[in-house]
Amino acid sequence: MSQEMSHTGPLLKLDNVGISFGGLRAVDQLDFAVEKGHIVGLIGPNGAGKTTVFNMITGVYKPTDGAILWKDRDIGALPPYKVAQCGILRTFQTIRLFSGMTVLENVLAGQHMQTRQAWWASLLSTPGQRREERDLRERCMAILDRLNLADVAHEPATSLPYGVQRRVELARTLAASPELLILDEPAAGLNDQESAELNTQIREIRDSGVTILLVEHDMNVVMNVTDRIVVINFGRKIAEGEPLSVRNDPQVIEAYLGSDEDEDVA
Amino acid sequence: MKEQIYRWAGPSLWVLGLGVPFALSANWISILALFAIYAVVALSQDIVLGRAGMFDMGHAVYFGVGAYTTAILNVTYGWPIFWTMIPAIIAAALVGGILAAPLVKLRGDYLLVATIGVSQIFHLAMVNNTAGVTGGPDGIFGVGVPSIFGHQLISQGNEYLVDWGLLGIVLLLMKNLEHSRLGRVFRYLKEDELAATTLGVNARYYKILAFALGAGIAGAAGTLFASQLAVVSPGAFVFTESVTLFAIVLVGGQASIPGVLLGTVLMFVVPQVFRELAQYRYFAFGIGMIVVMVVRPQGIWPRRRRMG
Amino acid sequence: MSTLFQQLVNGLTVGGIYALIALGYTMVYGILKLINFAHGDLCVLGAFIGLTVITSLGGASGSPEIWVVGLAFVAAIIAICCAGVVLEFAAYRPLRNAHRLSAVVSALGASMMIENGIMLIWSPQTLVFPQGVLPQISWHVGGVVITFTQLMIIVISLILMASLYLYVNHTRFGTAIRASAIDQDAARLMGINVNRVIVSVFILGPALGAIGGLFIGLYYRQAVFDMGWTYGLNAFIAAIIGGIGNIPGAMLGGLLLGLFNALAGGYISSTWQQAITFGLLIAILLVRPTGILGERVAEKV
Repeated sequence: MSQEMSHTGPLLKLDNVGISFGGLRAVDQLDFAVEKGHIVGLIGPNGAGKTTVFNMITGVYKPTDGAILWKDRDIGALPPYKVAQCGILRTFQTIRLFSGMTVLENVLAGQHMQTRQAWWASLLSTPGQRREERDLRERCMAILDRLNLADVAHEPATSLPYGVQRRVELARTLAASPELLILDEPAAGLNDQESAELNTQIREIRDSGVTILLVEHDMNVVMNVTDRIVVINFGRKIAEGEPLSVRNDPQVIEAYLGSDEDEDVA
Repeated sequence: MKEQIYRWAGPSLWVLGLGVPFALSANWISILALFAIYAVVALSQDIVLGRAGMFDMGHAVYFGVGAYTTAILNVTYGWPIFWTMIPAIIAAALVGGILAAPLVKLRGDYLLVATIGVSQIFHLAMVNNTAGVTGGPDGIFGVGVPSIFGHQLISQGNEYLVDWGLLGIVLLLMKNLEHSRLGRVFRYLKEDELAATTLGVNARYYKILAFALGAGIAGAAGTLFASQLAVVSPGAFVFTESVTLFAIVLVGGQASIPGVLLGTVLMFVVPQVFRELAQYRYFAFGIGMIVVMVVRPQGIWPRRRRMG
Repeated sequence: MSTLFQQLVNGLTVGGIYALIALGYTMVYGILKLINFAHGDLCVLGAFIGLTVITSLGGASGSPEIWVVGLAFVAAIIAICCAGVVLEFAAYRPLRNAHRLSAVVSALGASMMIENGIMLIWSPQTLVFPQGVLPQISWHVGGVVITFTQLMIIVISLILMASLYLYVNHTRFGTAIRASAIDQDAARLMGINVNRVIVSVFILGPALGAIGGLFIGLYYRQAVFDMGWTYGLNAFIAAIIGGIGNIPGAMLGGLLLGLFNALAGGYISSTWQQAITFGLLIAILLVRPTGILGERVAEKV
């Protein structure tokens, strides 16, 4: 029986993970797990270390302590491209599209790992290579269609409005066929309508079999789509559970939601 | 319509170039033969600099490795010129890849400075007659001409056609690169390396590949250069040559085939035509480089934004 | 043993010159993040202007009066400062918001232009500085020879470096220079006239460079139009050794590189000395790209 088959635990598990930058302890003794098929939200006040956690999971930073287990295998020391090859794909808080390239070319980047052509086939433009390029374009157009981006496929990506750029980045990440999709503030900069559409899209993506871990400030998104929430503050976990129970946790209210409720009153 | 013109203009010009030996004077044939060789080197520099976005200011080194490989194998060991091209390509690609392996982790200006260092060390190694095979400051004389099926291509016109043929092949490769995974990966790395790696791109592998590929193509040009000039000496691969190649790509336009060819014309052909003004060459280049950058920072003929 | 000390004296002399030139590279890089490839050639231009003043006023033979030598320095400094400001204004300022490579090519162009301009105005041949421009005194200390020229170069270089250090670290304008190097936008918001800072850097750097260039001429007693690359690259390496963008680093890097070159040339191989220097450069870039004293990274990820 292969290891893949025998795996029964959570898809992703952070085990006592910590990282220091110089003397600064950015994340400390962090434990949480992401079950297959769930949408997990990672929340916390600004500077709590959320993006740092994402950077550690995706191999951008190496954790100084603890283990990051992907299907029981420690991926903490892997470089980002190998983490991606495991099926863990991410978006960025500040959109990172390839400027000067079209939307389609950006989404094609997501298909990098699904592309088979060797470098010399690229140079010689062999018949197999040309067939593959045609297939790639078709697959990417289908993804663009799904996210209502087909009309702008040939536009330069970075000249589009902010909300559209966010969707292009999502399309690019989906093109890589993630098993775990990591979204870093996917609703940042979106208007109400766009953020509502995002809710639907996130659920659709989950229903297509993708597990999702997201950082988000927009409570509308967090409370509506997540199955489970992990709250961190000053790099440590302060609460974990279902959205409703976390929402009523006094420690969380004090650290994080408190300010939101003030706003609600005002 | 415009699209059609754009698509056919390049190939038509190349076919027109095949007629040069029958239409132009010996002087022009030799100028255009050198143009073809330098255009190949400039296009190979563009792979590393313009497409993959790595600041390589030592590209003349790989050109030199190819030329020296051919000269040594031909003069010392009597290999036919065409056969030396394969080891020349391999040697240049190996040097490029092996040097790149540690260097590609350097970013931006640091890589630029390191490749300047490589270029200086190479030049000194050739001048100092390393291993006793490079001929020291004078170089290696008496490199032969290519032959096909036992017929030596003695005439200048035939040699020109070989050079022009290599240019054609390399142009075709560059064209293919535009519509391929490899070409796209280079651009992803140039635009945003982190985003590319989180999508599964092994940045280090592709950066080394870009260097090896660019170096290999430059090495092929080196073979024809050695044969064309019949002599290979360190002076042809000095740092100034690397600077000139670097400038060709930026003055012409990064990742733009017509741009790079135009740059080659300006930096290599124009000085050949005005040979009596040779001493003003670099003075004029210097002013020209400043003016072009100030007026057109993207180069004279920048890359067209493809809408297809 | 005396050879070692002789190499140290020679190395310190050359190191002082490298340091003076390296300061120009490092100050410009610190603020504009641009390798000013033309800086080495500006220094050489200084040597040629100084030589012209000395030969035309001092006569080709005999020792010129001390004021002629002084005038040579003043003329070289003024001319090179002007050239530096013109360069910044014409070749770099228009490209401040362009892609960084455009400015690099502009700098390379400026370097070619100045280098070949010198060749066209003066000569493609090596020009010789007349004997006896400086007093031909030398001291023998236990087998080690120190000439007046060497002593002068070492002392003046150290004084100039100390003055620059004090100026940058203990004056209002020096603070503005350091602030602009850390964050131009923030400096602008704090009311610092960043343009003035940049111009000042293109005055200070070339001024020190002109002195360095003239020192090269006086020390080796010759000048050739294309020596800017050799000395420029060495000074630039010195700046990197100390940590590019770091002013005390350039001083330390210059002195260390001068000593390293003298020892490598004296004890390992004189024909490979430059290659060894470049090997050192590459090794430093790979192991510690921020140099000995540097902390700031040249390019953000």
